Amino acid sequence: MSQTLELKKVEEPELTFTQWWKNVYLGIKTTFIGLKITMKYVWAVKPVTIEYPEVREELPANSRSRLFNDAENCISCLQCSVACPVDCIYITAVKRDADAPKIKTKDGTAIKLDLKQYTIDTALCCYCGLCTTVCPTECLTHTTDYEYAQYTLAAMKYDYLAPDIRAWRHRIVKD
Amino acid sequence: MANQHDNHETNEDVIILGDQEVLKSDLLTLNMGPQHPATHGVLRVEIKTDSEIVAEAIPHLGYLHRCMEKHCEHLDYRGVIPFVDRMDYLASMSMEWGYALTIEKMLGTEVPRRAQYIRTMIAELQRIASHLMFYGTYAIDLGAFSPFLYAFQDREEILRLFEELSGARLLYNYVWIGGVWNDISDEQLKRVENFCYKMEENMKKYDDLVGQNHIFVGRTANVGVISKDLAYDFGLTGPVLRGSGIKWDLRKDRPYGIYNEFDFDVPVGQGLKGQLGDCWDRYYVRVQEIFESIKIIRQCLDGIEAGPVMGKVSKIIKVPAGEIYMRTECPRGELGYHLISDGGKTPYRLKVKSPCFTNVSILPELAPGQMVADLVATIGSIDIVLGEVDR
Repeated sequence: MSQTLELKKVEEPELTFTQWWKNVYLGIKTTFIGLKITMKYVWAVKPVTIEYPEVREELPANSRSRLFNDAENCISCLQCSVACPVDCIYITAVKRDADAPKIKTKDGTAIKLDLKQYTIDTALCCYCGLCTTVCPTECLTHTTDYEYAQYTLAAMKYDYLAPDIRAWRHRIVKD
Repeated sequence: MANQHDNHETNEDVIILGDQEVLKSDLLTLNMGPQHPATHGVLRVEIKTDSEIVAEAIPHLGYLHRCMEKHCEHLDYRGVIPFVDRMDYLASMSMEWGYALTIEKMLGTEVPRRAQYIRTMIAELQRIASHLMFYGTYAIDLGAFSPFLYAFQDREEILRLFEELSGARLLYNYVWIGGVWNDISDEQLKRVENFCYKMEENMKKYDDLVGQNHIFVGRTANVGVISKDLAYDFGLTGPVLRGSGIKWDLRKDRPYGIYNEFDFDVPVGQGLKGQLGDCWDRYYVRVQEIFESIKIIRQCLDGIEAGPVMGKVSKIIKVPAGEIYMRTECPRGELGYHLISDGGKTPYRLKVKSPCFTNVSILPELAPGQMVADLVATIGSIDIVLGEVDR
């Protein structure tokens, strides 16, 4: 195989002695201009980073983090699971008995279905917020919790009817 | 006779390195890029080198392919937006706006004036954030670390504003079909105004720090030259095209949204430090675009009107049967959506014309004959986001 590789080079004027000195001068000058800018950051600028485990950042109020469903106000309309683009909301509901006592949500909508299962796979969730916008009773909301790492994938599945998740309802929902 | 033949062969198998002739050896295959395919958002380039000179460069794409186009065929029109976000994750707002415009044009939806202003402002802020990211990472590519931190400090302010507006820092889902999700408050507008002043001052400083530095100029000027003809041939768009001295910006030439009401310039490369269309020119175009974006944001702040931010859109969107191609100017170039609808709840086909994919295609053309270190500078100056290349 005979092939000549040539270094692609743009034609430049020949380097004269004056040009060489000019290059050295420009190199030193512009480096000092840069150093002047960076040196300011050594003393004159306050640190902006947050030292995480000691200082925890407060997220804005409408931040889209861990989902929470206040199951007592849920009417099992399935709109959230339909709107979900990744299908991570699993709902099972059965029809309420006719002779059972009539219950209502906080805003007065009658609950006609008994919620048997309300599970969100948080590992699958893409936090797009589409499910919260369609919720008619506004029981499904994003919270500002952001520290919820788990050891297993199964632990990321939140069953909102389970007692342990009902426990942190009191922290989030202000009655 | 045989001896003569041998001599002839040896003479052809040389590399001309500067003014020296070096013996040509076997090509060495090198892998530039990630060591593991799960590393996200990185380009892998297989290069064949002889000593320091690149003989061939093949970009390997597809590590981040997520079947986005196929996936969209099973989602309702609102559900596509989170997936559109994930294409160019450094300019999600621009991606969403392009998609929203496509659907709005098909539906004939009227977007309220306030939402139009917010969209323009948000898109320009996103352009600044995206170019700051380029500025930072390009300096890292060329061996300077502190500019990256300065750029992120300013980018953080934009991201904080977006977080307050939409609720997320990177994948916003903020621009909806018919308007925007949340309204912007007066306090936030005031912050944008202050940010503009600060950014203008800072960017001049940053340009002195990196762009005017003689060592940086030495690394980028006359490197990776894309001539005007070559840029046309490969269909390049965005700052890469404008770096070659071609004045083409969709915001100016084919205005969408309310861009026709604003007064701004389209910066083009002028070959100030070397030949026209080199890496430095592409850097220069991006820095100048930040100043132009600030100009547009100031006009937005002056002209913003009170009113609703969401137009009238039915609860279940059904786009009438037909076809549309809509293109917008994103920070990295021309993004096009080709939507085919059969009148149902989901798109029949959504094809995305990605600017980064076209821009990265010029790499095998530019690379041969370059030094390996110059190839790094060239890849950096094209500024691609792999999420968009692979989709």
